[in-house]
Amino acid sequence: MRAHKLLGATAAVAALALGLTACGGSDDPDSTGGGGSSGGDVTLTFWHNSTTGPGKEYWDRMASEFTAANPGIKVSVQAIQNEDMDGKLQTALNSGDAPDVFMARGGGKLADIVEAGQVLDITDLIDDDVKAGVGPAFDAFSVDGKVYGMPTAILPGGMYYSKDLFEQAGISSLPTNFDELGDAVSKLKGIDVAPIALGGKAAWPAAHWYYFFALRSCSKEVMENLPGTKDFSDPCWLAAANALNDFAKTEPFNEGFLTTEAQGSAGSSAGMLANHLAGMELMGAWNPGVIADLTPDKKPLADLGWFPFPAVDGGQGDPAAMMGGVDGYSCSAKAPKEACGKFLNFFMSKENQEAYAEAFVTLPANQEAQGVITDPALQDVLATYNKAPYVSVWLDTLLGQNVGNALNAGVVEMLAGSGSPEGVVKSVTDALAKE
Amino acid sequence: MSDTLGENTLTTSPPEGRSAGGDGATKAPSPARKRGAGGADWAKRLEITLLAGPAVIMFLAFVIFPVVMAAYYGFFKWKGFGPPTDFVGLQNYITIFQDEKFQDALMHNGFILVMSLVIQGPAAVALALLLNQRMRGRSLVRVLIFVPYVISEVIVGTGWGLMLKTTGAVNHFLIRIGLPDWTVEWLSDPKIAIWTLMVIISWKYIGFAVILFLAGLQSIPEELYEAAAIDGASYWQMQRSITLPLLGPTIRIWAFLSIIGSLQLFDLVFIIWGQYVATTAGTSTMATYMVGEGRLAGNYGYGNAVAVVLFVISLTIALIYQRFVLRRDTAGALTEGKK
Repeated sequence: MRAHKLLGATAAVAALALGLTACGGSDDPDSTGGGGSSGGDVTLTFWHNSTTGPGKEYWDRMASEFTAANPGIKVSVQAIQNEDMDGKLQTALNSGDAPDVFMARGGGKLADIVEAGQVLDITDLIDDDVKAGVGPAFDAFSVDGKVYGMPTAILPGGMYYSKDLFEQAGISSLPTNFDELGDAVSKLKGIDVAPIALGGKAAWPAAHWYYFFALRSCSKEVMENLPGTKDFSDPCWLAAANALNDFAKTEPFNEGFLTTEAQGSAGSSAGMLANHLAGMELMGAWNPGVIADLTPDKKPLADLGWFPFPAVDGGQGDPAAMMGGVDGYSCSAKAPKEACGKFLNFFMSKENQEAYAEAFVTLPANQEAQGVITDPALQDVLATYNKAPYVSVWLDTLLGQNVGNALNAGVVEMLAGSGSPEGVVKSVTDALAKE
Repeated sequence: MSDTLGENTLTTSPPEGRSAGGDGATKAPSPARKRGAGGADWAKRLEITLLAGPAVIMFLAFVIFPVVMAAYYGFFKWKGFGPPTDFVGLQNYITIFQDEKFQDALMHNGFILVMSLVIQGPAAVALALLLNQRMRGRSLVRVLIFVPYVISEVIVGTGWGLMLKTTGAVNHFLIRIGLPDWTVEWLSDPKIAIWTLMVIISWKYIGFAVILFLAGLQSIPEELYEAAAIDGASYWQMQRSITLPLLGPTIRIWAFLSIIGSLQLFDLVFIIWGQYVATTAGTSTMATYMVGEGRLAGNYGYGNAVAVVLFVISLTIALIYQRFVLRRDTAGALTEGKK
């Protein structure tokens, strides 16, 4: 979950220690029962990325409750620092020592692993009530009509803002198009706060701006065809880059946004919102939790509100469409099949998903558990999400690591003034050459 | 402190120290060979195998093997899952040299290499000469200059990064002392960022050069200066005719280390700028390019090809340097070995 980027570099030492223990612990007899007969004792190795706090407690509790309910299946939990997860997982998959259950975000990255035959097809393992409860969120984990992962959280994006600062600045109604957003930006400049916080150092927060401009500029068909074709020739992609470039020229972002982190400190973009130094931020639904960690009293920001990304003039996208990520878990191809399926279904029950939503301050994938959401900003996101005509996955996730990374880099170059709107589109074609 | 420096001197090859050691080495084996004791020879080989064996195995396993594997993977389009299957020949290498971002990175490495030598070399010699004088608080100043070298790159990078960002301490300080016009984008303005990097690199690594040069200075016999003084040489004449020539081997070794370090620079850049801003701010290096395009973009085959290019460039420069610059320093040692 991107939310855990907040642990960032400060936890590098802890991550190293974790890495070492993880290596030491890999002699678990994990996939020895490869056939998956549930008769004998089975141990599931399980990798997630919540190294601290309620998230870590949640997974530890799931593991022990699952074993209590299913004697004979043990779950060996390893919490791995978010930034280390990709590399460790890749090494583990390559060396044939993959964890049985691991965190995944779907999209192109998962498709690569599926193509390499490293992930278990769980289509037939999902319980019917879980299938009904989760619904369309399975799309993010589906490749060629088969499901390769269990979504645990939905994380749609939009504008988080400070109600107090908006009031101080005299912004009476929430912006629904870019004229109104521009108006809000100048009013916020008037009260001497950064209008929009942006943590551009990691690139993806800046790239999200481009994704949303693209979501509004491009038609539903273009967005739907993107993962298969990776084709950026439709003029709407360039139009989106131009629109972002024009918007950036009005200087709506915090000073020095290129060297600003997204999470982790008071000076990060989330921290600026938490400390009332910035009016708004474009982020995913993990943001209330991240901001809560960065407020002076470490409590959720009381005046945090949410509104959808504004409509773009002449755009072919539905202004009510949403973009977001899905967090979930996949089983490796060698995992004991039945045990793995049982574990995935176990933590997807209504009660366990409610606990999940509370532990991570986020939106659970099981719609039956969504009643526990109390955070007003999250309630607004959820209401909009449930009404959205269609939902796209973050473009970098959707396009896979290589193209996604290049797209992010192209956006940063344009915002830094060393690239151009054409360069954003070109970065994708250049990256495809390396793939 | 000066004792430790004295010991270091031996490794940084003062002329007379080396020849003394060389003579000893050539004398020792010849009597043994004359005795013709095959047993002794055999025992010696066993001893060498036992003592050097583990190191050789480690070297093969952790240096040579990865280099060979990188060269192999560099011929594939490979996303890193499962064994590579998509053989593309030299395509990756062609793409590398056509990629403007790689050309930029190469230029930055070259700039850093030259500027490191130009800035740090003279400054370190001057500092070493200064600190070689008898003066109050000399040890303290030596320690202070050396401290940045000891601090880890991660901490240096994080600290400087925080101070120099747009809303950081440096700009804040400039505003506080009434110079708001002097505040600039130290890290993200392409005209400034590479100089910012040079300042940080110089701050960090100059202590290492100073310590090396101080060690070299200690090995220059005092008598030479006394003789020169009797002949009526001025201070500057002494430095030019005695200090610099006799410090030459140390300077050349330091320059070698500095060149290799400049070519492989990664951590400072990656921590302060990150992958993306390093590209836009003009501080990217071949190593940050390699990690960005390989590990972070998931093009492992391509990344391995970049690693090979970086290796070949470094090796070529190192060999040329050894052949043409270090030859004077190693010439004696090599002939002695052949005897």
